[in-house]
Amino acid sequence: MSNIASSQTAKGGSVSILSVLKDFGNFRAVNDVSIEIRPNEFFTLLGPSGCGKTTLLRMLAGFEAPTDGKILLDGSDISMLPPNRRPINTVFQNYALFPHMTVAENIGFGLKMLGKSAAEISATVKEMLRLVRLEDAGNRSVTQLSGGQQQRIALARALAPKPKLLLLDEPLSALDLKLRKSMQIELKRLQQETEITFIFVTHDQEEALTMSDRIAVMNGGKVLQIGSAHDIYEHPADRFVAGFIGETNFLEGELTASAGGAGTVNLRCGVTVEALTAKSVASSGSVTIVVRPEQLEMVDPGSPQSVDATVEQIVYFGTDRHVHARLGDGTALTIRQQNRPGMREGLAEGQKIGVAIPPRVAQILKD
Amino acid sequence: MSELATLQDKEDTRRHRLLALPAILIMIALGLIPLMIVVVYSLMAPGEYGGVVPKFSLEAYVSLIFQRDMFDDTLTFSPAYLEIYLRTAIFGVVTTVLCVLVGFPTAYFMATRPADKRNIWVLLLTIPFWSNLLVRTIAVMFIIRDEGLINTILLDLGVIDHPITLLYTNFAILLGLVYSFLPFMVLPIYASLEKFDFRLAEAGFDLYANRFQVLTQIIIPLAKPGIVTGSILVFVPAFGAYVTPLLLGGGSHLMIGDLIALQFGSSRNWPLGSAFSIVLMVIVMLALLFQLRRSGQVKHG
Repeated sequence: MSNIASSQTAKGGSVSILSVLKDFGNFRAVNDVSIEIRPNEFFTLLGPSGCGKTTLLRMLAGFEAPTDGKILLDGSDISMLPPNRRPINTVFQNYALFPHMTVAENIGFGLKMLGKSAAEISATVKEMLRLVRLEDAGNRSVTQLSGGQQQRIALARALAPKPKLLLLDEPLSALDLKLRKSMQIELKRLQQETEITFIFVTHDQEEALTMSDRIAVMNGGKVLQIGSAHDIYEHPADRFVAGFIGETNFLEGELTASAGGAGTVNLRCGVTVEALTAKSVASSGSVTIVVRPEQLEMVDPGSPQSVDATVEQIVYFGTDRHVHARLGDGTALTIRQQNRPGMREGLAEGQKIGVAIPPRVAQILKD
Repeated sequence: MSELATLQDKEDTRRHRLLALPAILIMIALGLIPLMIVVVYSLMAPGEYGGVVPKFSLEAYVSLIFQRDMFDDTLTFSPAYLEIYLRTAIFGVVTTVLCVLVGFPTAYFMATRPADKRNIWVLLLTIPFWSNLLVRTIAVMFIIRDEGLINTILLDLGVIDHPITLLYTNFAILLGLVYSFLPFMVLPIYASLEKFDFRLAEAGFDLYANRFQVLTQIIIPLAKPGIVTGSILVFVPAFGAYVTPLLLGGGSHLMIGDLIALQFGSSRNWPLGSAFSIVLMVIVMLALLFQLRRSGQVKHG
């Protein structure tokens, strides 16, 4: 692990994206995005398809020029440099391995273009093959490899020139679930070993949460929130972020008092809860609170500080189960229960239950 | 069960053979039999008024290389025909190279148009085929002759005082050959470039290749099957071209095709014409074999 890191001369770079705009005709794909990415960070751009994340990545790679704004790498403006003059490499969604070259030729391509000596190229290719754990694959044709192996070679090829920044464009989307999980761990390991700044683009919120140091959630060309996985899940900035990351219950209510990062909300369904407030929430008025399904508790109907609901559907996941219930006023709620010996047996669809919201877990959203 | 399957297989094979029968019959009737006739003719003596005399003779092959003295029957080495073969080969190779140089950018341009516009370009490319080769060649003559379009314009502009002789030169023949066979080069290259995944070019740029390197290291190697096919499609007919060198070369710059036509026409030496054809065919076959082996080696290497 340390020999890779110590042989590394160029460590990860820092990136400043400054008020970047990108128009395609009348369509604004990226709308005034500013992000500071730290050296050696695993940074994820997360959002639904068409949110502008891939366009932003292509501007970082140099395939698109920003309509307005600047991109700095370690403080110097790279916005107008062509891709072959940026110390940045990309892992493409479909890998884009050169089919007429062997694995070793693919990995060595960048170094060859940089004019490195044959000896240095072959040494680096060996190092990269070891790094991605495909030591014996060097002489094989890339068309003979499985999807997972192609993925590793694409990574090795992009890492071989030791870029300051590695861009990953949904690289795991073509893999099956099991392989995807192991590649997530692999990617995190590679990032830590090489100490290169990774910018990872995905629409998969779970991928984003498990791997990233920080995440930028994007929608409609804008960045809605930047923060750690914990921040974004526990303290979503708005309704879109809350809904996009994980499953969420939204409840309407009236904020009556707030102090010290918490507020009292009279929910429309009849109970009063103490909920966490974000900085910019008004001190009173109608608000929406967000409660994660695992934060809700199922109690006997009629219990104090609970609201009555009817079970509509029970979905069993193995490790847990989701209980979809409906309140008297028609609001749908999802409650997640961990599968443990105490999990309520004999719960049936149509049954009356009570739902309790523990204090200081729900989050008040700004509108 | 397996016996049944074997029976079924046998039945299928038999039916497949039956289905191939018409094609095989046509190939025998139109390919093999004429070829055999040419081989047999080349081994006979010429008849006085054309045709052949059924008498075995190697005279045709001997006269490819030697000249027989009219009086004492001695053979002297005569490279005249060999020179024409060599000329023809040079014309064939130069035409192929020029077609690659012009055809590749053309095909690249077509393949990089929006998908819905590409068919229009393919259509435009095939327009010359709607008229006869003879007509097209004569049209070229009208453009390049002394009183033709090019000379008239250059004279009017005052660039030249006297017309440049373009017609009846090697240049005219090459121009005609490239013009006639260019679409055979463009279409196969276009077919391979159209399938080309341009994200590979992006990957090349991303890995520090400049435009020239992306072209030579990624695009051209992947378009190679099209270039090879196009080269064969151009080289083979260019090597046997007849009308183009006859009209544009003015009879003074013979290619092997004209020589063969001459033997069956005014020279009335069918065996010699047949021998020329057989040698031409062998050269083409050897060239193709060489090409095939080379591209095969690249694949394995």
